[in-house]
Amino acid sequence: MTPSFKTRRRNGLLSALPLLLPAYAWLTLAIFLPLSAMVYFSLLSDIAPNAPSPSLTIENYATFFSDPLYATLLWRSLVLGLIVTLACLVIGFPAAYVLAKILKGRAREAIFLLVILPFWSNSLVRVFSWSMVLREGGILDTALNAVLPFEVTFDLIYSYPAVVIGLVHSYLPYMVLTCYLTLQAIDDALIEAARSLGASRLSALRRIVLPLAMPGMLAGSALIFIPVVGSFMEPRILGGRNGTLFGTVIEDQFTAVYNWPLGAALSFILLAVVLVILLAAAPVLRRTA
Amino acid sequence: MMRSSSLLSGLGRVYIGLVLVFLYLPLVIMAAMSFNASPFYQLPFEGTTSWYAALASNEGLIASTLNSLQIAVLTTLIATTLGTAASLALFRSDFRGKRALQALLFPPIAIPWLISGTAMLIFFFGTGIGRGLHAILLGHVALALPYVIIVVSARLQTFPRELEDAAASLGASRWQTTRKVTLPAIAPGIVAGALFAFAVSFDQFVVSYFLATPGQTTLPVEIYAAIRKGFTPEINAVSTIVILFSMGLMLIVSRFFRFAGDR
Amino acid sequence: MARVDVKNVSLSFGAYRALNDVSISFADGGFYALLGPSGSGKTTLLRMIAGFEYPDEGSILIGGEAVESVPVDKRRIGMVFQNYAIFPNMSVAENVAFGLRVRGEKGAGVEKAVSDALDLVQLGHLAKRRPHQLSGGQRQRVALARAIVTKPRVLLLDEPLSALDKGLRKDMQIELKRIQREVGVTTIFVTHDQDEALSISDRIGILKDGAIVQEGAPEEIYDRPRSEFAATFLGEANIIEGTAEGGRLTLENGVSIPLPQEAARSSGHLRCAIRPERVHVVPGGLASVNLSQAGTLTGIVRHKLFSGSLSTYSIDCDGRQFQAIVPRTGEDDIRMGSPVEVTWKKEDLIILA
Repeated sequence: MTPSFKTRRRNGLLSALPLLLPAYAWLTLAIFLPLSAMVYFSLLSDIAPNAPSPSLTIENYATFFSDPLYATLLWRSLVLGLIVTLACLVIGFPAAYVLAKILKGRAREAIFLLVILPFWSNSLVRVFSWSMVLREGGILDTALNAVLPFEVTFDLIYSYPAVVIGLVHSYLPYMVLTCYLTLQAIDDALIEAARSLGASRLSALRRIVLPLAMPGMLAGSALIFIPVVGSFMEPRILGGRNGTLFGTVIEDQFTAVYNWPLGAALSFILLAVVLVILLAAAPVLRRTA
Repeated sequence: MMRSSSLLSGLGRVYIGLVLVFLYLPLVIMAAMSFNASPFYQLPFEGTTSWYAALASNEGLIASTLNSLQIAVLTTLIATTLGTAASLALFRSDFRGKRALQALLFPPIAIPWLISGTAMLIFFFGTGIGRGLHAILLGHVALALPYVIIVVSARLQTFPRELEDAAASLGASRWQTTRKVTLPAIAPGIVAGALFAFAVSFDQFVVSYFLATPGQTTLPVEIYAAIRKGFTPEINAVSTIVILFSMGLMLIVSRFFRFAGDR
Repeated sequence: MARVDVKNVSLSFGAYRALNDVSISFADGGFYALLGPSGSGKTTLLRMIAGFEYPDEGSILIGGEAVESVPVDKRRIGMVFQNYAIFPNMSVAENVAFGLRVRGEKGAGVEKAVSDALDLVQLGHLAKRRPHQLSGGQRQRVALARAIVTKPRVLLLDEPLSALDKGLRKDMQIELKRIQREVGVTTIFVTHDQDEALSISDRIGILKDGAIVQEGAPEEIYDRPRSEFAATFLGEANIIEGTAEGGRLTLENGVSIPLPQEAARSSGHLRCAIRPERVHVVPGGLASVNLSQAGTLTGIVRHKLFSGSLSTYSIDCDGRQFQAIVPRTGEDDIRMGSPVEVTWKKEDLIILA
């Protein structure tokens, strides 16, 4: 369309700087410099972190490539990220759809609040709460045995499914939130128009709603995939020995093995993988936005 | 056929109900277990408040709770101030590279906390800033800043720029305009941003975990340590309190900031 | 193409009765306007014919076939929405092709139909555009092309022109009329704009509070409204009431005016309306009129509204405000505050129910 003329001259960078500087300075000190330091650290040989003359090496990255364990664990973490993201999408999108397109008024507001409320309560505590549900002799076990005529042993704690359940529980509200926001922005008349043109409910969903909701689904997926790939607390609490992942190995380097340079290298590899995946998704995001 | 739409909405309601059960069931069970006498969560249920009573004498939990509150309040004050200032500056200005500068706000959200946490650990340790509560505060403010800026900027989007021009045309200085016109108008956004910042800090575990030291720790880190040591029903009790506190806080936020976005 | 019959249809949303025993027929190929204030149920009626709402009672027939339990996608209708509802994720051509594609049609037939439809609305050159590159009027045309390309049995338009500015709206009214005549599809058009309803439709149905108040050709409804609501909603009207006897009406202030032939034998309380443009204003003293053939009231000019070729006078006749619209010929300007006499031919008096 025709370019709109600017009616008002806005301020340039210079006059904005005094107000911007404190926030960016803080982010520099607490995020950007630490990330740079991490890159530097990942190139140090495995010595005491404050030793006088650290030598530069690519040994830590070599370790990652020479020991297949790391690649396996990274793969395991990526697969876990994928599973949890897909599960959240499959569960969360219909929930967001119901909220945005079926419920109305106060009911919608109240239920929406209920869905996103857990998201703001401590995720550690929420993960922990599952350990009471999933263990043998726990609530689910007891309830199932009370109802079912035959004896079942239900002991999911310290298993891979337990980790998945805990993570889905933790991150589901993100997906509902992002999908809800895009679904809400889709004019109901578009769906009605599709229906009036002969599209069935399913066809309207596939041809109109899903394409238009894509940005929300992708944003939600990114918001879930990234932290899940780096998760270590949830696998530790719910996965036990079965919860060894790339994130727990990184944590070990800092809190148990004290090989910080290797930990830094592994962190950086994880960051790089996440960034590559995000960059790969970016064109799709931009196209659908 | 005729009422397929109402059938669909009925199914939809049932589905949402199931999702809510999934989200709340473990929390309800945890809360129930915090009142169960058996320390191994055994049934039948026998009511007791002894685990709550035991909290009162758990010095580690009390100290870390006070630390958490203190850090959350400081984070809220600092992040809200810096974030509101930055939002205003971004709102009022237009320059080349503004979008890039705004994109730089997202790393704290977009990077896994594990990586932010370990990077802070390395940097703070290496530069002599060290670990402890001050380091945790440094980290929390950085994590909360983007949330404040997003929420306040969203509010500013609904703020008519003409009001600032009108104030200026009436002879108000930049500062007077900001204080008497702009800030009051976006106050709900600022309050919501502040509460977000509080919640981010109070619930933060990962970054605190890497920056805490034995004497200087926060509640989530303390809870994690207790979980790792072995189950104790006291954790249920304190977790229940934490959950109720956080959710209560967000209920208050929701009064200031309408998530559902109905216009 | 098909006729549409709505028979004794009622619909409630909770305690709110949106439609109350509505019956109306739309002849094959006709151009109908459903006119009413907001909340009158006109859009609900349209959405019910479309299949977005289902009646609690009554039936809807399209081409003689009962469709009230047929879902919208099986009704073979075309609809144009108030904000056009152009699919933002598709080009203009893809938007128009949508209805054919969901029916499983493919290939050159679809392309031909799409380009024909776009040509019909004079947008053939914009087929590849994205919706956000279109102006309001162009979106409107895309929506129209999209709705008619599937050869619907009935075309439903929900206030399709209300989002356009005034000049464009006039053009689109003419355009819409042309396209409708070319395609020949039964068209039902919802609007709250009286002028629009009068100028483009063959027939008008006026709705109020979920019921049809009056239905008929535009001239018929304008000239012979049956209720005060119809008279005042469609155009302006001065309302007069009094007691009828012996072919005359005696007003509250004692003035007697002649009734038209049709009401010569009425008696008792009667409400009448007179269109402002049928009222003559005579300055000063008594007008030389035949009191058995013309109604006459005296009053004082309170306001005058000048609008180019016309003047609208607001005249106070014993406390009753009387509107008169008078062509300006140059010599007959009347000053405010001056006493006047208003008169009209007795046949111009409209008897209301």
